[in-house]
Amino acid sequence: METRRLLRRERYVRLAAVLMIIASALVIILAVENLLASFVLAFVINYLLDPIVDAFERRGLPRTWAIVIPFLALAIVIGISISLLVPLISDQIRNLDSEFPTMRNQLAALITKTELKLQSYLNIQEFSFSKEINTWLIQSFQYSTHLGVWLQNSLTTMILAPFFAFFMLLDGRKISRSLLALVPNNVFEMFLNIQYQLNDQIGGFIRARLFEGLIVGAVVWLGLQIMGFPYAGLIGLAAGVTNLIPYVGPIIGALPAMIICLVADEPIITDSTTIDLVLVSGVYLIAQLIDIIFIIPLVVAKIVNLHPVTVLLAIIIGAQVLGILGMIISIPVASAVKLVFSTLYRHLVAFRGQSLF
Amino acid sequence: MNYIWENILKKNRKKDSLRTCLKLNYLFQDLSNRELDLVANIIHKRTFHTGEPVFHQGEIGVGMYIILRGSVDIYLHDNQRMDQQEKIFVTRLEAGDFFGELALIEDNSIRTATAISQNESVLIGFFRPDLLEIVNRSPSCGSKIILRLSEVLGRRLIETTDRVSELGKELKELQAFTNEESLGNKTPFTT
Repeated sequence: METRRLLRRERYVRLAAVLMIIASALVIILAVENLLASFVLAFVINYLLDPIVDAFERRGLPRTWAIVIPFLALAIVIGISISLLVPLISDQIRNLDSEFPTMRNQLAALITKTELKLQSYLNIQEFSFSKEINTWLIQSFQYSTHLGVWLQNSLTTMILAPFFAFFMLLDGRKISRSLLALVPNNVFEMFLNIQYQLNDQIGGFIRARLFEGLIVGAVVWLGLQIMGFPYAGLIGLAAGVTNLIPYVGPIIGALPAMIICLVADEPIITDSTTIDLVLVSGVYLIAQLIDIIFIIPLVVAKIVNLHPVTVLLAIIIGAQVLGILGMIISIPVASAVKLVFSTLYRHLVAFRGQSLF
Repeated sequence: MNYIWENILKKNRKKDSLRTCLKLNYLFQDLSNRELDLVANIIHKRTFHTGEPVFHQGEIGVGMYIILRGSVDIYLHDNQRMDQQEKIFVTRLEAGDFFGELALIEDNSIRTATAISQNESVLIGFFRPDLLEIVNRSPSCGSKIILRLSEVLGRRLIETTDRVSELGKELKELQAFTNEESLGNKTPFTT
């Protein structure tokens, strides 16, 4: 009886230690500024390069070299594309910076006009939303100042993330193994199973979503570029990034182009703003169709199915807690939670009523 | 001087002991030293106390265990009976033996027996995710292990088939015997 008691105590202590380590790592990542974004980006790099590293290792390369080579290659690719894209994008950013206040004012005017129209249609004078929206617009889109802070933050992220990613690739397995070594025997297989499935599923999910975003962004950029639409590169980038958010993302991604269409002094592509809007929506529609018809069945379909309502709920919660980053990571986090609970359930229910000793 | 050398060699000795133990195991006997190192870095060394269960019958199993030190008893629970506490002793496994290898192949496999450590034993856990990682990182090493694993399973299958045909034969004999008996019983009435 005494040994049983000791054994049970050891199990509790070990389990508590493991859970405490996981919880404190989460708290640190969430509490320290910039750390969450760096970690998310590091995870993305980690999962992106992992298959390549494995492939190099299969060819007989030691793991360290198998990591260094794709890292250097990635750095060179990013370096070249930055040196090519930065002049293009920075021109667009500079133009946007000078044009932004006018655009914002035009948008505000458009909102006021719509409101007046609505008031005359509905015949109600007390009903007013333009003032609030316009102050919100001016406050939240202090474009230049925001850009400065954002750049500063993202620079830290850009430096920290590859650093984390390198060690995740090199020592990630060692770290998870030493954490697993602490897990008590009676739940060890369950923990191992959860860890493996999480790794597998999140890796697949991240690779699939990035591929999707890349294709959608490229299609939007190409389409707008062909029509001679301003800021095509920036808008394509925005479409690619927002596409990471399911359901809501594509709509948010399409907004910038629509707004530019609406507030332009004269129609941009054709003679009429309406046709312009139709053309621009056409580009987004084609990008989404390509996504739905070709990419989702090929790469995304095998990843956990969450109910649409769950997806929306997760996105809303993510947005409330962490803003745009929260919206992007809400789905992988939600599917991870689902996976953990379903595996726990399977293991614990299969466990037919025998005492834990 | 001696002390330094001892310390330098000790580090490798610890690794070597695990490697030799793996090398002695049927599943890993074809592996080169480099491949054994890879495996040694992936498997899990677990310590079990006296009387501590390794797994229970009916649980989901993820992989197999190799006994490095100590011994493990295998028990069966009779599911037909209400009393789950009653268990039938099947066999005692000693150092070098392995068990639970079916879970390595089958996804979500259910443990068909209960394993309980009989003293302070050290077991090497080798699980499905570990096997998949080996296959992913070194396919040649993975296929050597899988080949040995299929040999083990094949041998089990042959043994089981033999046992089944033996049982079939016994059943036939028994049926023939009962038939004869019933015939023999009927004879007094017919004559």
